[in-house]
Amino acid sequence: MSESTSRVRIVVVLPEVFPGGGQALSDPHGTLSALARLGAAARLERMPSLVAAAEGVRGADLMVVDGAPPEAAAAVVEAACQAGVPVVAVVQREGEAVGWFRLGVSDCVAAGADGSRALAAAALEQIRRGRETRERRSVERRLAWLENLNTTIVNEIPAALVVLDRERRVVATNPAFGRAFGSGTRGRPLADVLPEDLRESAELDALLDRVAAGQIAAPATARGHGAGGRPVAFDLRVQRLDPAGRLLLVLTDVTERETLTRRIRDLQRYNENIIQNLNSALLVVDNDAGVTFANPMAAEILGEPGSDLRGRSVWEWFSTAAARGALLARTLSDGTRFRGAETILSRADGSVLPIGISCAPLVDADGTRLGAVAVFQDLTEISLLQQQVLQTEKMASIGQLAAGVAHEINNPMGFIHANLFQMAEYLADVRRLWAHVGDLQKAVGSGDVEATRRAASGLDEASRDIDADFVLTDFEKAIRESQEGSERIRHIVRDLRDFSRQDRDERISADLNQCLDSTANIVWSMMKHAVVLQKQYADLPRLRCNPMQLQQVFMNLLVNAYQAIEERVGDSGERGEIELVTLLRGDQVVVQVHDRGVGIAADRIDRIFDPFFTTKEVGVGVGLGLSTSFHLVQKHGGVLRARNRSGGGATFEVILPLAPSGETGAAPGDDAEAPSGEVEASRAP
Amino acid sequence: MSAGVVLFVDDETRILSALRRSLRREGYRILTEADPGAALRLLEREPVDVVVSDQKMPAMSGLDLLERAGRIRPSARRVLITGWPEEVPPERIEALGLRALIPKPWDDAELKRVLREALSA
Repeated sequence: MSESTSRVRIVVVLPEVFPGGGQALSDPHGTLSALARLGAAARLERMPSLVAAAEGVRGADLMVVDGAPPEAAAAVVEAACQAGVPVVAVVQREGEAVGWFRLGVSDCVAAGADGSRALAAAALEQIRRGRETRERRSVERRLAWLENLNTTIVNEIPAALVVLDRERRVVATNPAFGRAFGSGTRGRPLADVLPEDLRESAELDALLDRVAAGQIAAPATARGHGAGGRPVAFDLRVQRLDPAGRLLLVLTDVTERETLTRRIRDLQRYNENIIQNLNSALLVVDNDAGVTFANPMAAEILGEPGSDLRGRSVWEWFSTAAARGALLARTLSDGTRFRGAETILSRADGSVLPIGISCAPLVDADGTRLGAVAVFQDLTEISLLQQQVLQTEKMASIGQLAAGVAHEINNPMGFIHANLFQMAEYLADVRRLWAHVGDLQKAVGSGDVEATRRAASGLDEASRDIDADFVLTDFEKAIRESQEGSERIRHIVRDLRDFSRQDRDERISADLNQCLDSTANIVWSMMKHAVVLQKQYADLPRLRCNPMQLQQVFMNLLVNAYQAIEERVGDSGERGEIELVTLLRGDQVVVQVHDRGVGIAADRIDRIFDPFFTTKEVGVGVGLGLSTSFHLVQKHGGVLRARNRSGGGATFEVILPLAPSGETGAAPGDDAEAPSGEVEASRAP
Repeated sequence: MSAGVVLFVDDETRILSALRRSLRREGYRILTEADPGAALRLLEREPVDVVVSDQKMPAMSGLDLLERAGRIRPSARRVLITGWPEEVPPERIEALGLRALIPKPWDDAELKRVLREALSA
């Protein structure tokens, strides 16, 4: 339409051009010239035929039909009417106008000089009217559309709508209102329709008063109880509709939203409670290792109870080389997870604390790393306990050893004891001889030949009597044997002392074969009557380790193997075989203890490394041996595994890395939990 | 003079040597053996009056040795010598008809008394 406001488009139908050309009258009634008076604003489109005019009329402002009788123009007029284009007919004969009007033309103008003048005026008038009609129709269409939209919204909106008159009676409601508060409410006072608790909780009357008085009121929330007494909540908005004081009240059911919001709030409080009262420290850090959250326990363990740690760098506490290199730093740099690793932290006051720590990367929904979460516990007490358990276990092992060792000591004690008695007798014999020697000396000194002869004979007699040659030889032998015996006791005691020494957690370079061999020597005394020991040691590089701890492991494994053999052979006098093997496997040192004992029952193989799990009689073992061994091997970054051998018996295998891991505790990543084998047992205690 | 034949069995030769030393003046004919198997073979040849065996030995316990010794030479009196007398089941001692248990380390006088009693019985 904007195009036609700039230029008026008029479709003109003129009489057919005479066929054959020549003196054809192109505008016999001056129609074109009359329309030309409308000026340049009017664009005349002369149609060559009625058919062309019917096709081209759409969008025109006016059609002028000239030179055709109404009977011939019916189709073209109909097309124009359908397109909403007014038609002006140029009437050639008297009485033709009625026919034209019947067809639906808007106006008729007589042909001729007068007619051509009237034509311009009629055209203008029809163009104006046509435009008015078109605009009115367009507005009507828009109104109808809007009305339809409005009805749809009102009917379909989930909010309950109600229109109230000045007396607060219901004028109209939508279906949602009917569903919420009942239908057939028209004409009833709102107070009868809306439950009292809803109205009062929102102070609805006051709200309506304010809006009715032209004030703007903020939305209110109404709470009450719906069907079945369940709590409901509505968001209330009021709008003044017109000066007559009618109000629109919009009620949106927010029950579910409120419930969800409350649940989220409860959950938040719940989480908050847990985190605040957690017995473990919880620390959240950003990618630059700055603290973004710390629970009270974290502040306590870090030695700063009650202070706000946010914004501080975790390296204030985790500044040791080990902690920096291996744990939180790695989680931050490459997202590695750690579980139950052990490390230390340093407090501002200089004290150092052992902790058990788990680290995980903090990621958002897109997987972008935002930092890390660390959960840790103070291990001071646990470390002490662990130390105690280790010592207890060692003492228990020593208890088992004691019997064997006592036997080993008792034999030399037995013969030293007996020898001492005998040597006392030998000494008495020697004194007797010495007395005779004294007599002889005195006689020789006196020069008395007879006395000298008698004394010599007495010495001779005594010497024969006490078998002096034998006594002196055997005296010497008894001394030598006793010395040997006491030397043996000295060695045993020294080995035991080495073994029972409280060890400090130190790593030194040690020969693993020697560790194994000396342990085997100590244990050998208790098992030699039942065991044949085979050794097959490979050349091993020296290993940085705690030799005492490894010796304890070896001893546990040896005692275990021995007991398994004893269980199998009983008192049969048969001897079982234990084979000790060391070997180098890649960058690992492997120590194997093979036995031909009873083996490990299938239902026990995954429990043998559990603390206090024992298959032995009361008093034989406290059930900490293998669990302790596992722990000690793990402390060396190694693995302790057990499996049954084909042909009977079991193999225990200690696998130690040649290059120490530097960090105690679990390995990084998902492998942090020790792998558990199907036939093999290598579980963490 | 032959006051009796005594066989000592102990895997520890120094013990055998000390026992022999202790009884030097008792006048017994003393046989010693560190290997229980060899001791049993010796019993078959020698008219042993008393067998004294250590309890804890590799390959064979003293009780087992004495039990077999009783079958080979029923007339021989049997004595067990052990550092852990309380560990020896009393019923086995009775079943063997053992003359005595001698603790280790032994008291020389007690050893001599036990042997004298065993031989006079």
